[in-house]
Amino acid sequence: MSGERSRTGRKRPRKRGRFLPYILLSPLILFIGALALYPTIVTTVQAFFTVDPVNPPTRFSGLSNFRALVRNPFVRQSAANTILYIIVGVALSTLFGLVIALILQRRSHWRGLILALVVLPWALPAVVEAVIWGWIYDPTFGVLNSVLKSLGLINSYHVWIGIGRIVSIVLIELVQVWQITPLAALLILAALQSIPQELYEAARVDGAGRWAMFKRITLPLVRPGLAVAMVESLILSLNVFDQVYVLNGFAPGGASIMLQTYQISFNNLNFGQGYALSLLATFATMLLSLLILAVVYRRVEF
Amino acid sequence: MTHVRSHTQGRGAAPVLLALVVLAALVVLVAACGSSSGSSSASASATPGVLPSPSPGSSITVVYHYPAPPASVLAQFTALTGVKVNWVEVGWDNLQTKIAAAAASNTYFADLTDVDWSKVGQYYKTKWFTPLNSYFDVATLKTDMPQINTFASNNQQLALPFDSSFTVTTLNTKIAKAAGVTTTPATITDYNTALSQIKAKGTVPTPLDIPFAAAEGLSTYWYQVTAAYGGQVLDASYNPLFTSPSSAGYKAMTWMVNAYKSGLVPKANIGVADYQGFTSEMAQGRVASVFSDYAGTVGSIYDVPSTSKVVGQVQYIPTPGVSAAAPNLANPDGIGIPVTAKNVAGALAFIKWFTDTQQQAIWAGLDGPSDVISGFPLPARVSSLQLLTNKVSGAAELTSLLQTSRPVFPGPGAPPWYSQFSNAVYTNIHQAAAGAETVQQAVNNIASQVTQLKASS
Repeated sequence: MSGERSRTGRKRPRKRGRFLPYILLSPLILFIGALALYPTIVTTVQAFFTVDPVNPPTRFSGLSNFRALVRNPFVRQSAANTILYIIVGVALSTLFGLVIALILQRRSHWRGLILALVVLPWALPAVVEAVIWGWIYDPTFGVLNSVLKSLGLINSYHVWIGIGRIVSIVLIELVQVWQITPLAALLILAALQSIPQELYEAARVDGAGRWAMFKRITLPLVRPGLAVAMVESLILSLNVFDQVYVLNGFAPGGASIMLQTYQISFNNLNFGQGYALSLLATFATMLLSLLILAVVYRRVEF
Repeated sequence: MTHVRSHTQGRGAAPVLLALVVLAALVVLVAACGSSSGSSSASASATPGVLPSPSPGSSITVVYHYPAPPASVLAQFTALTGVKVNWVEVGWDNLQTKIAAAAASNTYFADLTDVDWSKVGQYYKTKWFTPLNSYFDVATLKTDMPQINTFASNNQQLALPFDSSFTVTTLNTKIAKAAGVTTTPATITDYNTALSQIKAKGTVPTPLDIPFAAAEGLSTYWYQVTAAYGGQVLDASYNPLFTSPSSAGYKAMTWMVNAYKSGLVPKANIGVADYQGFTSEMAQGRVASVFSDYAGTVGSIYDVPSTSKVVGQVQYIPTPGVSAAAPNLANPDGIGIPVTAKNVAGALAFIKWFTDTQQQAIWAGLDGPSDVISGFPLPARVSSLQLLTNKVSGAAELTSLLQTSRPVFPGPGAPPWYSQFSNAVYTNIHQAAAGAETVQQAVNNIASQVTQLKASS
């Protein structure tokens, strides 16, 4: 007997059985709640309060944190910088990810080795990667200067990070692209491998070339994978912190919105404004993610 | 049908109920995590100089940005008091974040930790550290600890000096002599001439180290150069003193930015922080001088054969001023007890032992290199420095400099909004050096920030 029978003769699950799924789910709910739900609620509420240990007490202040952020020139600059980080990060990681995925899709003896090499940057901590790239960009001993000079592309060694804003941001973001491209490649590869081979065989019979097959079959059918990869890249680029901090410190020329959040919260101890900026970053992430999904994602059924 | 609907409603209530229970548990759990205030075993009404006895067998956690003293030396403290010491090393920047995060959430973090000179005003306002006036006779200690007042705000002693430190000028005498600079530059004019001469001779193409990375070290450098020009950055009411082109602060910033633009400073220094400059430039002989170096670097960096190429070449020189030697600014580290500490008696006993005359001298090398704290700049006590004469590079010169060093903010001490102020300082000087703004704009931006900070505090 696995359950009692009701008067109508139907099996009624035992009480324990009814609760079991929820009991099994509760550790996960607790985990997500503690690490995501609770902080989100606190952040949302506290964003409307003045939370400043140097200027107590904590008090409701409406939209004043948001107004102060909008007026802060460093916040505006870091927001503009972050947009550039996102453009470079999403574009390059998606492009490189697609190329790598197409290479990995081909059957080859070296596929396992290539896959391992490709995944390696993803496995390394961001700080370690930033330190390594810091050596590459080093204006005195860096490999970048050495290579460019030996190729005759520059006459003297350059200071790459810290002088020009755009150059600094692009070079810092390249470090992140190096790290996040493997994830994009794997997501796109998964989408590529789900495309039925019969479609390509039929196209070949119809006389389609490689470019035509890529344009007419691969690209439209890989769009769900591309969309997910782009959203992942967007989230990581919008939250870029380690690479910026290691390579550029707190210099405003390359400061990201997350670095600014850290500065406001833990250097200035203005936690209220820190909460508000985090909230704005969260909303920006959600909106941009939805935008990418609306433009790129298409439901694909085989 | 009715039965089925009723059954469905019953099942629907269960997850809602369970979710509420889980959320309630979550709130209790998080609240419990954040409200651990710890217990204090010491009385606040103690007699100064008389410390409560720590409990034998207890332990304290010290979180600091210096490496732990040798285990054998810490064992001596345990033998003396019965208190075991867990020393955790955390980098300075990260440590400041941890202190703020733990204190803001009222969470136990350490029994003892760093109180930087620049944070004292902030900690007075936030009440994150236990005042030590009840336990230590500050007035008596002052004669032997010249920088002890740096850790007091509104007569509350929030820490005792962990070490002593002040900005000081260093010169590579070998490079200087090779360029024909035979007399020690006594004024800023002499100093500029000497640097230009070294550059012109090509001995070192970029002879001056200024750390232009947007970090605290750049602010400190500006304060010292401002002192050399005969002024200070803020008055006793925290009003800006650097907005006029004839002011010391304005001249100091102009001097620093011009030094970078004219090629006296390596171009790479736009991203170089203070210690990075000491170790990768000065210690490697790539620059000849640091105008605002830190006391103790000759012994702890430049004369260390394993990492330095300039052993025996670098000397402390009196910091050049407008017409004579300039004052040296104090920037020591303190050691204090967070209000969330669990073993206050043990922490007090440790402070007393750690800051003792003999022990301070040991940290700097009195008993040989095996007992030192790596990178420890200078003892907090004059009496300890006197024990080190003839044992540590430049100890005699540093003893006299320590006694005449002065706070960056004489009188009221660092303002509670110092972090924001310093942030504005290093950000704008960095921007001026990078060519993103002029010195005038940088000065205006910093002054505007000061006005806002004063208005909001």
